[in-house]
Amino acid sequence: MLAVKRRLQEFSLIGRDPVLALSLIISALFLFAFIVFPIAQTVWSGFFNKEGQFSLTYFARYFDSYYGPVSRQIFLDTLTMGVLTAAGGTLLGFIFAYTIVRCRVPGKNFLHILALVPTVSPPFAIALSTILLFGRNGLVTKGILNMSFPPGSNDVYGMDGLVSVQIITFFSVAYLILRAMLERLDPSMEEAARSMGAGKAHIFRTVTLPLLIPGIAGSFLLLFVEALADLGNPLFIAGNVTVLSAQIFLAIAGEYDYQKASALAFVLLIPTLVVFLVQRYYVSRRSYISVTGKPTGGLIEEKEGWIRWPFIIVTYLVSGLIVILYLAIIYGSFSKAWGIDYSFSLEWWKQMFARGIESILDTTFLSILATPIAVLLGMIVAFLVVRKQFSGKQALDFTSNLGGAVPGTILGIGFVLAFSTPPWFLVIFMYVVLFLFTLGILKATFWEKVATGIVGTLLGAGFFVVGARIGQVLLTYLISILSLGFGVYLLFTRPKKKNGVKLVLFGVYGALHTLIEYVAQPLMRAANAIPEGTWKNAATQFPDYIQVFFKLPHAILGCVLIILIVTIALQERTSFRRVLIPLFLGGSFALIFGGKPMALVGTPYIILAAFAVRSLPASVRSGVASLQQIDPSIEEASAIMGADAQYTFRKVTLPLIMPAILAGLIFSFTRHMTSLSAIIFLVSAKWRIVTASILSEWEQGGISMAAAYSTIIIVFVLIAIGILYLVSGKMLKRRGGIDITWGA
Amino acid sequence: MFLVLENVVKRFPPRGGASEVTAVNGVSLSIEKGELVTLLGPSGCGKTTTLRLIGGFEVLTSGRILLDGVGIDNLPPHKRGMSMVFQSYAIFPHLNVFENIAYGLHVQKVPEPEVKRRVGKVLELVNLVGYENRAPNQLSGGQQQRVALARALVMEPKVLLLDEPLSNLDAKLREQMRSEIRRIQQELGITSVYVTHDQIEAMTLSDHIVVMNQGIIEQIGTPEEIYRHPSSQFVANFIGRANFIPAKAKSVQGGEAVVECFGKEFRVSAKAGVTPGTMGVLVLRPEMIWISEREGVFKGVVKRSVYLGNAIEYEVAVDGASLIVMDTNPRRMKLYPPGTSVTLDAYMDLAHFLLA
Repeated sequence: MLAVKRRLQEFSLIGRDPVLALSLIISALFLFAFIVFPIAQTVWSGFFNKEGQFSLTYFARYFDSYYGPVSRQIFLDTLTMGVLTAAGGTLLGFIFAYTIVRCRVPGKNFLHILALVPTVSPPFAIALSTILLFGRNGLVTKGILNMSFPPGSNDVYGMDGLVSVQIITFFSVAYLILRAMLERLDPSMEEAARSMGAGKAHIFRTVTLPLLIPGIAGSFLLLFVEALADLGNPLFIAGNVTVLSAQIFLAIAGEYDYQKASALAFVLLIPTLVVFLVQRYYVSRRSYISVTGKPTGGLIEEKEGWIRWPFIIVTYLVSGLIVILYLAIIYGSFSKAWGIDYSFSLEWWKQMFARGIESILDTTFLSILATPIAVLLGMIVAFLVVRKQFSGKQALDFTSNLGGAVPGTILGIGFVLAFSTPPWFLVIFMYVVLFLFTLGILKATFWEKVATGIVGTLLGAGFFVVGARIGQVLLTYLISILSLGFGVYLLFTRPKKKNGVKLVLFGVYGALHTLIEYVAQPLMRAANAIPEGTWKNAATQFPDYIQVFFKLPHAILGCVLIILIVTIALQERTSFRRVLIPLFLGGSFALIFGGKPMALVGTPYIILAAFAVRSLPASVRSGVASLQQIDPSIEEASAIMGADAQYTFRKVTLPLIMPAILAGLIFSFTRHMTSLSAIIFLVSAKWRIVTASILSEWEQGGISMAAAYSTIIIVFVLIAIGILYLVSGKMLKRRGGIDITWGA
Repeated sequence: MFLVLENVVKRFPPRGGASEVTAVNGVSLSIEKGELVTLLGPSGCGKTTTLRLIGGFEVLTSGRILLDGVGIDNLPPHKRGMSMVFQSYAIFPHLNVFENIAYGLHVQKVPEPEVKRRVGKVLELVNLVGYENRAPNQLSGGQQQRVALARALVMEPKVLLLDEPLSNLDAKLREQMRSEIRRIQQELGITSVYVTHDQIEAMTLSDHIVVMNQGIIEQIGTPEEIYRHPSSQFVANFIGRANFIPAKAKSVQGGEAVVECFGKEFRVSAKAGVTPGTMGVLVLRPEMIWISEREGVFKGVVKRSVYLGNAIEYEVAVDGASLIVMDTNPRRMKLYPPGTSVTLDAYMDLAHFLLA
């Protein structure tokens, strides 16, 4: 009982600052709706067949005599791939890190950038270029070495090729972690060992390595998870080897069997979740090297030539390989018929623009749009996690990371399962939470709250019935007009215009929900009038993009309305509140429950949510890192001088975490542009994503087209990084630049 | 009775492996308007937590806090009308000196001419005129501290809270700033609560000192009361140096007692509530004892002698115990080397009897 009381007290603390409470509610709802709920759906569906009966069919297959051997082989191959990639990637990452930090090597910055290039390219870029160079018709294998590959011989496809490709794709993570650790290794520890008479090898074995073990273990585990979650590379280059992620994909793309896909997803989820938990809660806690410590480790120099030179050579060789691999992609997109005719041709690029411009524009538009959402949410979660104490904080932190930690296919399946048809459980849950929150946060007697709640519900039912009669469109107009009316009333009767403006804006926005079509349709007609070709395809996208801003799903519109009303009600007189709250609680009820609430598949909004969920962990991590470096007393100083949490955040915290925000923007955009597994099931005829297009081009044998698409993604990402670096350079001249490794 | 704490308790719930901690365990005190009260005690005694409870950065587990008769427990920090000077100064790194000081005034949307006037006035007060446009990283520690103080003062707070503001400064600067803070506080008449573990700071600045230990108040009093009549061994030991001599109370009368120690009887000051026949200790400060050429109270052997410049400090073994003796008489400057048998005389009437 005492524990419950204490929890309520904690929440009343947050309730003292309503804006904070709202941030908590919004982020918690988002995380629940788009991470917890979809994953739960995926797990759940593995256990029920199409008729809805409990079924362990696909789990049993691991143990029967017909399917067993193959299923077990796939599972084993998946784990093997994971372990090999993790080991190889960690080793390579260590070599790079050691070379750059301790061996006096020329071109450090160049090597650093090259090590990071794989993170800004599509996940299967390396597989693509490996095939271009070393495949059956590869430039090196056939063109230069003139090898031939009769069936049964060892070509680049298969486990060896897959693991090699994955090592190059993922070693950057290990490199960043180990580099950070090496840089922060206090030189005095090794000096102390030296002064006690220990030799170099002994010191390395007994001092350096043990201190690095948390980093090595952490890298190993992270790479293991990345390898297991990888979908693109296995689809391209695994050959006869099948791994779980590919099997899951094929279960849906080939067999439309969601039960099978979900069951397999559950099997994939177990090792990835276990490893993620171990890495986060066991390994990272045991770090002996402070992340925020001073980077003095770079002062140690490796002087032994027989160590230095091999490290430098390996590092340069791998860097050279990376350069060649990326050049192959670029060259591949410009060559007439790779494997036969390597002459320069713009043919593929022309075709890509003609056929794929919609895909390119859609992906870029959605990636850009999702970026501020992901970063804002990330900063809110980071702030709540670092600065506030409340029950469930760990859960919030964990869930926000879960979105990026689980294999994307699991989320993708979950989204399809959850949002193809209205997820009533979720919708009811969302409304009830907001309903209780609204009543709870207001200062009123218990019975007043009950009364408000009952009236609100009755009005809600009323609006709902009306809505059923007149249709969603007219209902939205009705509520918008109500909002406009109240807003105008507030504007004229209150000295503070803020609340009136809010309601007026909402009313206008609600009306535009439908009215925007009067803008979009003429634009669409004009676009259709353009002669066939790239420009027409491009132009016809824009009316849709404009509408994305206004056609927010009604359920979300309803939630926004409730939140708006809460912020207004907190500053209003009781008598007015008694009218405002029940009325608009009722209105939101009708908005939320009318039509097909939250049936988001096929809309751009589900893709935005998927993007945001995938890039959220990076924003949260960089937000947490930079907030931890701000002395909490700075925010307390602001508070005691009269600033509420919102003012403090705007005027003090935000300027100080701006570098982290900019880093977060770069990372999020990159992650969005290169997403594959989470969104592959969410693309539709109207909303296409480039990475999915690459996959289908590849399946049809258009390797140069695939290369062209890949190149353009890389180019866009590099442009974005360039712009952000320029902007941040100007903004942060006083305080040093930003570090792209934040959020890794 | 301007700022009142009634039986304030603060418990921190168990977190991350640690068990529940009771940081403040029933603290009651009453501060008058315009006075400077210091919360003094060793690390972990609860003084900072108490300060943060007053400021609103922590929430009471139980008890009440009243400001001018009104309960303020439920108010968040930004509604309490108080100011705080933090140990780390907490200067906003992205604003210059003027913007830092003006911050609170901007929050209140004070018109700009008024802001300029008030900031100018307070800059004069802390001797930082001309530094308006400096960035914080261009300021020395002492200057940053004065900006922090200015920023707190410009708000014209009802209560000024200071959390060990001088601990990051070097000794000379600390002395200087100590008297500055006291001067400004008295000039403006702002009720202030000051937290420190440095007893010299406490003695220099305070109207009243609240000695705290392990979450409770050991004693509240003026510097002289605390020093002359400590209420417990802890307080006696924490402020200044003390010798504790076992003694037995023979008779008690008002604030005095007749005690017996070393076979002799003395009339000393005593805490109220001592009953005759009880064993206790006599608190005798080192400067109340000196080495006598003639008659004395104790006889002993010098164990250690240190020449400090303004005094000579002796450690003298008397009857198995060690007494610290501080000889401050410039005339009587004969250094008795270790091993010398000496006679000690003392102002025994200044001794204070405590229960064991």
